This record gives sequence, structure tokens and C-alpha cells, in this order.
Amino acid sequence: MAKVRNWQLGREMDYRLPEAHPDRQFVAVFNTNRCIACQTCSFACKSTWTFSRGQEFMWWNNVETKPYGGYPHHWDVKLLQMLNDANPGGQTWDTSTQGDDAPYGEFKGMTIFEAAAAEGKDNAIGYVPTEEDWTSPNLYEDTAKGNPGVPNEYHPEGAQLPEHDTWFFYLQRICNHCTYPGCVSACPRNAIYKRPEDGIVLIDQERCRGYRKCVEQCPYKKSMYRPNQQVSEKCIACYPRVEGSDPITGGVPMETRCVATCVGKIRLQGLVDVADGDWTEAPTNPLYFLIRKEQVALPLYPQFGTEPNIFYIPPRWVPRPYLRQLFGPGVDAAIERYDNPSRELQAVLQLFRATQKIIFRYEIEEGEELLDEEINGRRVQIFNDTIVGFDGAGNEAVRVSVEEPFHVRNGEFAGQYQNSI
Amino acid sequence: METLSNSKRITFAIMGLVLTGAAALTLFDLRLASSQTVTLVAKRSEDPVALDDPSDDVWNKASRIQVVLSGQSTVPPRGGDDGTVTAGALHHDGKLYIRMEWSDGSEDASTGRQTEFSDGAAVQFPVEHGESVPAFCMGNPEAPVNIWQWKASRQAGTGAAVLDMQDVYPNMAVDTYPFEDEAEFYPASASGNIVVREDRASAADNLLAGSFGTLTAAEDQTVAGTGVWEDGTWTVVFSRDLQAGEEYTQFSEGDSTNVAFAVWDGAKAQRDGIKSVSQFMTLEVSPDIATGRAGRLSGKDAGLFVMVGLVVVAGLATVGSYLLYTRRETA
Repeated sequence: MAKVRNWQLGREMDYRLPEAHPDRQFVAVFNTNRCIACQTCSFACKSTWTFSRGQEFMWWNNVETKPYGGYPHHWDVKLLQMLNDANPGGQTWDTSTQGDDAPYGEFKGMTIFEAAAAEGKDNAIGYVPTEEDWTSPNLYEDTAKGNPGVPNEYHPEGAQLPEHDTWFFYLQRICNHCTYPGCVSACPRNAIYKRPEDGIVLIDQERCRGYRKCVEQCPYKKSMYRPNQQVSEKCIACYPRVEGSDPITGGVPMETRCVATCVGKIRLQGLVDVADGDWTEAPTNPLYFLIRKEQVALPLYPQFGTEPNIFYIPPRWVPRPYLRQLFGPGVDAAIERYDNPSRELQAVLQLFRATQKIIFRYEIEEGEELLDEEINGRRVQIFNDTIVGFDGAGNEAVRVSVEEPFHVRNGEFAGQYQNSI
Repeated sequence: METLSNSKRITFAIMGLVLTGAAALTLFDLRLASSQTVTLVAKRSEDPVALDDPSDDVWNKASRIQVVLSGQSTVPPRGGDDGTVTAGALHHDGKLYIRMEWSDGSEDASTGRQTEFSDGAAVQFPVEHGESVPAFCMGNPEAPVNIWQWKASRQAGTGAAVLDMQDVYPNMAVDTYPFEDEAEFYPASASGNIVVREDRASAADNLLAGSFGTLTAAEDQTVAGTGVWEDGTWTVVFSRDLQAGEEYTQFSEGDSTNVAFAVWDGAKAQRDGIKSVSQFMTLEVSPDIATGRAGRLSGKDAGLFVMVGLVVVAGLATVGSYLLYTRRETA
């Protein structure tokens, strides 16, 4: 076991392999508040990568309804239970130490690696899901937590902010391309690797021998066994697109399929530079801004200890204890900042799904004030700023303003077609 | 006086048991093995060895050893069980044959379902036989090992060499598979991964390793292997030409090398390092003709038979005198 620094935990932790970092890291932000669970992302992924024999059950991208949904069933609850069994009542955070090095404070509990060591097991705790676990991937779709103590009855005041009594929300999940992947640590064949150029985690299809240790030890259950190939496969982060080898973008890096097809405009994906074991400060990289500067997007189950690289803007109506378990102690501050966005955040949120080129840097051109009112006891100001996103070659890729332009279609087609085409 | 008689009793008892046990093992041509001081002798078989029939009578003439296995505890993932494998060896017409026999309550020959793992067996040899023996766990970078691995799931008839989803789920229905015949959508087989090679001629793979995590399919797949499960026992026979490419272990009459054994129980989700393994022991490829216990007694064998008889008598006599002695003591 080596000691590695996990910034999400605010401390060092044990990991099988020595600390190593890519030059750049694949990172995404998913805004759970905007998702309508249309599953366009799931099907974009499936129709690109997992439509073949042996992949029938595979959803490298899935959207599940929390709190009851999960693909595979109850993947997270099972692991949380195992962690609690290893460290009863000890999975807590010390938020008094929050700072630049420890944005969420310090995790005082056990990661999947530390829990394994405590129980005398190898590498990390985990389990291989059964076939039943992988079936019905969207079971509990739209199933809300009910009115407490009043089963099968409508809750008349169930939906009042700040926390709804009856609630659900959609959790969008792909491989987290973790900094300390459970799968990489698990593979006895050293068949899984994290690419130095972008931090994407891949299973070498020539070396894999189908032992399913990665399936067992990926806490997010995003390694999947393909029976007719007798090997495991996983999300590849659409790496040909991220590399810029898709002809559509003319050589500049491009967002993944699940991100680029998002109907609800909930996703933004990019690359952050890494140096000396941490993200290089880049306040105008939209991902860096959202995650490290504004801290409005949080990792999923940071306590697992793999340092996941998909970040979530938490759903603002969901009871906070549940969200803190999912996203760590940064939840309250993140929701506060999303509810009352800064001028810059208002602009950056416009970049979601504005182009399929990866945006490496943005500039903001200030616009006129649109609103200055007191709402819910707070002064709210909205400015019609314009944000300009630049692609991997430094060229302007997109230009969007806070106020969405309103178009009225007149002219030769007016009244001719109902759908305005 | 009391102390002396106790220690005498113990000495007599141990001597008697050792002598009787050794005689019995020799009589049945069995040898206990837990280290490389024990030798598995591959004698020359006069008859051809049937590769597809591990219960072939020819094996009654082979010398055999009892190999002690224990769980692999050196490197994660650890696991496996204590147990034994009966190992035998023969050579015939320029080919080496290694036979393994061990008990396993269930035949696990499919990896078609998510939580199914296959039974398996492997033999391991140093690529170069030298003064020092490589680490028995997958060798060293400077002293690689050649591994022959058999998996029940790779064997046509007991599993499926290249499995179709319809074999696993007979009632499944899928409207269409786009690009069904395009190889790149089956990346493991398209990249030449040995576990899914469609031209598989045998359920045994020829592999090389030079420490943990380095197991790699060899260029030449020249190892054959067949297993049969019956009444709670797996019997597997491996074979390869005595001589092979220089990157692999060479065998020749009159020479010795080392051999280690491993077994996987699929029912216990054993795979990779989760296995029952032996230490290295010596494998001698002998010019002697395999006659074994079922064979005719040659002059040399008759002499051995008399010697074994004498040893048994000596053992029994020791035990008898011990019993008499203790009776007198207590009386």
C-alpha cells in the first residue's frame, strides 16, 4: 500500500499503487437540477458503443431515479452498508479544516481501500453484482420518497423548498475516470490503465482475462463483464472524440456522446491541466471554475476514496442529509451558490451544451442589467453578459448570452406549418 | 523412569508410522511432495497417450506424486484452499504429458453468467532450468516461467470455447444487432486476446510470466489440454512437444527441471491469484520405460518389491514392539 493525496478527502489515504497523475484530466459537471431523465444520453452511448452481442445489459451511461433507483440495483446502498459494517458509525467528516487543500474538510472515516485493510481483505471492499442486479436498469423510475408515515397517500405540502418531503431526483452516471480508480487497483493483470494524456481509464482488451476483479472493486459499478468476449468492458469516455480525431471538429477535442446529446443541457465536459498532483489553477476553464473555484459541483460519494472526476450540481429540493451522504459536506454551500448564483456563474452556466467542442477557456463580455429585485429576502441581480468559449486550438467556439434570444418566425413559412419548420 | 518410557514410546511410534507410511507410499508409487526435493518422474511410455481420455490405462504405468496445495497468500488477490493434487507424468514419441487429478464437488465449466467462474488447472515450469529456481509465484523478471493453463470453460463440450449469448439465455430476444459482422465491435477478439480466440485448438493456453501481473499469452499456442469431470474429480492431461521455441521450457530425456501446480475452484469464485498452489518440485524426464504398479515386474522392480516388503515388515515390527513395550510398562 502506498500513501496518496486525495484532495476530495482533504488528506492522504492508502492505495495499492504509488501516486501518479495524468498531464490533463477528463472532467465533467452534471447539473442534476436540469435533468428530465429523457435517457438521450443513455441511448447516445448505447448506439455508439454497446449495441453488440454480449453488451445487451450494458449501460455505460445510465440515469437512475434516487433514492430507490440504481443500476445495478442498490449498488450504492450495498457498498455504504459494507463500509458501515467495516467502520460502524465512523464514516464522518471534519468540516472545520475546510480550506484550499481540503475544500470539503477532512474525511475521518474509511475509504473502500482502508476498509479492506481493516478487515484483512485485499485492495478494496466490493462485490460482483448478480445478473438480477443488472436487469431492469431503470427500476424505480420516478418513484418518490413517500409521505413519511402515510403510505400510498398524496402529501399535500410535499413539495415546498428548501427541502421537499416527497422527493426524487435523477442521477446521471458514467465512469468517473477516477484519479485512484478501484478498477486499476483491483486488476491483478495490470490490464487497466489511466492514460497520461487525459486521465481516461481504459481496460486493455488484449490483456483482460475476465476475472471481474474490476467489476468487484469499482465502487460505482461501471466495469461490466461481457460473457461472449469473456472480458470486461467499460466507458471509454469517447476517447476518439476527446482526442479530437472525430472529423466534425476539425481536430480539436470534442465532448463525449452522452454530453453532446444532452437535451436538458445539463452536462459540460472538458479537460483540466494537472501539475504537482493537483489541478493547475485555471479560473477561466469552466470546469475548474465550477468545481474548484465556485465549488458548485461536487464529487459523487467522495468517501469511497477513488477521487472521482464527474461532478454534480446537487438537486436543491432534496433533504440535505441524503445529499451529504451522496456528495459530501460541500452540499449546503453548493446549493446556496447555485440558488443565488454569482454574476460569473450565471454566465458560465450558459456554456452547458452550447457547443460540442470542448471549451478550454472562456471570456465574459459584460452586458446590461436585466433584473435587480428582492426575491425571497435576497437582492437578485441578473446581467445580460455574453460568455465566449474557446476550443482546444484557442479559437472561438461559442458565444452565448445570459438572456436567451427570443426568435419569432415570420415570413414565408408563418402560419404554414404548426411546428415552424 | 516415567519420562524415559514416554519419550521411548513416542520415538517408537514415530519410527513405526514413518516406516509404514513410507513403505505404503513406495508400494503404490506415490510420493509426498511439498518442495522441490521431491521428484516427479516422467518415464517413457511404450504406448501412445490419449490426450482426450485422462482415464487412459496408460496412466496406470506412470509414476505419480501427491502434491500438497495451499492457498496463494503472497500477493493480492489472495485465496485458495489447502488440498492435494495427484500428479503424474509420461513422455511418448517426443511429447511430454502431465496429468493432474484432484477432487472438486462441482463441475464449473461456464463463465456465461455474471457471477460464474470456471474450474481450472495449471502447471508451471522455469523457462531456463538453472542453479536457482524462479519464485514459484509467477517467476521473476530475470527468471521467467512458462505456464500451461487449462480452463473448463474453454473446453468444447464442457463449456463453450466462444460463447453465444443464446447459449446462456435461450429465451432472449433482440430485434437487431447493427454491424454484427464487423470485428471491431468485439474488441477483445479483434485485438487478438487469447481468451476469446476463435481458432482455439485446445482448452489449454501457453503463457509466459516474469512476476505478478505479467502473465501474457505466448506467441505459439502449442500446448494441448483436456479435462474430464466425473464423480467429484477433475482429471486433466496437458501435453506439448518436449522441444519448443527457445522462449519456452525445453524438456529432454535425462534432464530435470522444476514443476509447480495450481488449481482453481470456480464454485468458490476462484480466479487469478485466488487459487490453490504448490511449491516447485523436480520434474525428471527419464529414459526408463514406464511400467508402474500395473506393469509387469522386471528384475529391478522385483528387487524393489522385496525391499519394500522388508521395510513394511520392519515398520510393523517396530509398531508391534512398541505396543508390547507399552503393555509391559502399564502392567
